[in-house]
Amino acid sequence: MVRSLSWRRILNVAMIHIILLAVVVVIIYPLLYVVGSAFSPVSSLQGIGINPFSQAPTLLQFRKLFNETNYLTWYRNTLTIAVMVSIATLIITSTAAYIFSRFKFLMRKQLMVSFLVFQIFPSFVGMVAIYILLLRIGGLDTKWGLALVYIAGNIPYNTWLVKSYMDSIPKSFDEAARIDGASNFVAYTRIILPIAKPILTFLLITSFTGPWMDFIIPRLVLRSDKQFTLALGLFNLINGRAANNYTMFAAGALLVAVPFVALFLIGQKSLLTALGAAGVKE
Amino acid sequence: MDVPLKKTDVSLRKKALITGILFMGLGHILFLKQQVKGAVYMVTELAALFFIAFETTAAGLSLNFNGILIRGIRGFITLGVFDPSLPVTERDHSIFIMIDGLICIVVLVLLIAIYALSIRDTLKITADYENTGKLSGNKEFLHTVSDRAFPSIGLSPVIILLTFFVILPILFSFFIAFTNYSYPDNIPPANKVDWVGIKNFVDLFGGSSAMSMWSTALGRVLAWTLIWGVTSTACVYFCGMFMAISLLNRDIKIAPFFRGIFILPYAVPATLSLMVWSNLLNGTFGPLNQMLMAVGIIDRNIPWLTDPNIAKVSMILANTWTGFPYHMLMVTSIMTSISPDIYEAASIDGASQWQKTAKITMPLVLTQTLPLIIMSFTYNINNFGAAFFLFMGAGATVGPPAADTVSTNANSVDIVVSWIYKLTLNNPQKFQYAAVLAVLVFVILTPFAIWNYTRTKSYKESDL
Repeated sequence: MVRSLSWRRILNVAMIHIILLAVVVVIIYPLLYVVGSAFSPVSSLQGIGINPFSQAPTLLQFRKLFNETNYLTWYRNTLTIAVMVSIATLIITSTAAYIFSRFKFLMRKQLMVSFLVFQIFPSFVGMVAIYILLLRIGGLDTKWGLALVYIAGNIPYNTWLVKSYMDSIPKSFDEAARIDGASNFVAYTRIILPIAKPILTFLLITSFTGPWMDFIIPRLVLRSDKQFTLALGLFNLINGRAANNYTMFAAGALLVAVPFVALFLIGQKSLLTALGAAGVKE
Repeated sequence: MDVPLKKTDVSLRKKALITGILFMGLGHILFLKQQVKGAVYMVTELAALFFIAFETTAAGLSLNFNGILIRGIRGFITLGVFDPSLPVTERDHSIFIMIDGLICIVVLVLLIAIYALSIRDTLKITADYENTGKLSGNKEFLHTVSDRAFPSIGLSPVIILLTFFVILPILFSFFIAFTNYSYPDNIPPANKVDWVGIKNFVDLFGGSSAMSMWSTALGRVLAWTLIWGVTSTACVYFCGMFMAISLLNRDIKIAPFFRGIFILPYAVPATLSLMVWSNLLNGTFGPLNQMLMAVGIIDRNIPWLTDPNIAKVSMILANTWTGFPYHMLMVTSIMTSISPDIYEAASIDGASQWQKTAKITMPLVLTQTLPLIIMSFTYNINNFGAAFFLFMGAGATVGPPAADTVSTNANSVDIVVSWIYKLTLNNPQKFQYAAVLAVLVFVILTPFAIWNYTRTKSYKESDL
């Protein structure tokens, strides 16, 4: 079939290109602005102007960030919490999902439905109670206290997610293993977990990235600057002092965003497959 | 196989039931040959009775029917006693007492459930016996236990974490809505918190003229929350869809390049993006105003974040920037799964590109992504970040505050969740109103959650 190139069509394509290019500018400019600001010698937003690259690049902001603030401690704290949360979430929710998917037991249906209801509550709805519970068990201003809140909050949605995936794995697989004498635990770890790897990767990534930029729960749980996570630290860096620490903030933001974008670009393919499965198919 | 019913069978059921009701597990031991299970039940009831009847005092145990469970529940009802003669640190802390009471109630409910279970089990065993004439005994029970070990152990961390960090806080928040827990007169331990019935609901819903600023603020915040939920979802969704459709156009030769750029906002954490946007949109020093000024489009700074109405638009635009890539990815994955035959057939019938988009792509994608849209709507209703981080450079209030902002803390861009945050963590703290708002969030969002649930495969196959 020969496609005719009418004027209309050319105009149409040109229009789309113009719109797409405009969107590219809107997306790239804020990102470049942060990059430029991070390497700028001036400290305030006011001094940067429209073009953040107008002055010679310097590492001054990074040096200030490392020497004058607890940035590196915040980074380490956040990393520790993220690792704790992702590993615990992976183990706890995948086991729960397997049990919900394969076993019949009392209140099973009611539990699953209640998970669905819990999942719609933002976790800070009960923040006063969480605060007092942590106070009682000595978890205030600690990393494990914060991690505990995140892990609990991760359970309802992710159990559903992983359960739906495991439901699609034929039951005959683990039944065959059990006939061969494998225990429930062996059937789960040797047969089901390897097959469920895509969704588990997704779970690991989302529960790892979750704590990085969450703000409310750390604000509630963490008190001392030494225990802060990145979101709290960066927020305090620019809050109140209007735009005065802007470039230092930009440097700090850049050091978070770059690994995130890199991670995303590396894991893009598996992430998108899992997203498709998670969001649309059900 | 028919086993004739003997008279003794029925009396076994009666005996087991009566003893089982008198003391949990007794029937299992005496009549049902289930000594192990019966012992477990009996120990549970003994423990429960101990915590009800005995109080641990300095002098040792005393049998005064004032055990920890009883005290917990009584405390939940009274919320402590206000005794101004005590130093502040030694007074009753109503909120601690309330949470302890809630834990006691949860434990008591569990005990009652176990009791009901034991009765149910008795009925099941005797029914089996009446059918088969045999009692299965301990062996079968122990077998079931080993069979059940994996699911029980596997689920226990889930149950414990959910009970304490999800269910208990939600229950607590619900009950706080019926107290006067607030600054300045009811902050423990200096003062006591009391039950006030539905007063807070009356205050917020306009039943009390003294509190009319609260109902005004609620009306304003609720209206904006709903408008925000709908418009922000529509924006991210349709922008995402437009990009997806454009990029699948065969005439766009460098689609991968565009797509690579467009997913960048998704890769950057939204909190960071919003903090960056709050700087870009800064009314005085922000580069956006400077740029518009340099080009000559405006001659005065636009108050992007400080004018109540413009701030709302900024909020939606910044959220679109952070949110559209996700929807673009979703729509793309659905569109690539639409069979090309449909388009071919449409082309043969003489449909134009626009007709194909409007009549085939859009409806198909829309129906398939409906759960996604609902999810996105509930997400945006709860989108604390957009209402908070974008405006932090501007301080606590946005623009000329509404008449009630000083007392209610709600500015013109606050949605329900960001208001909850402020009422809980900023002064003056009004926990009781925050709790009412939490109940409100629940009421607004539950229908959507249930709707999404009824669409799931597991619900449809009734194989939940």
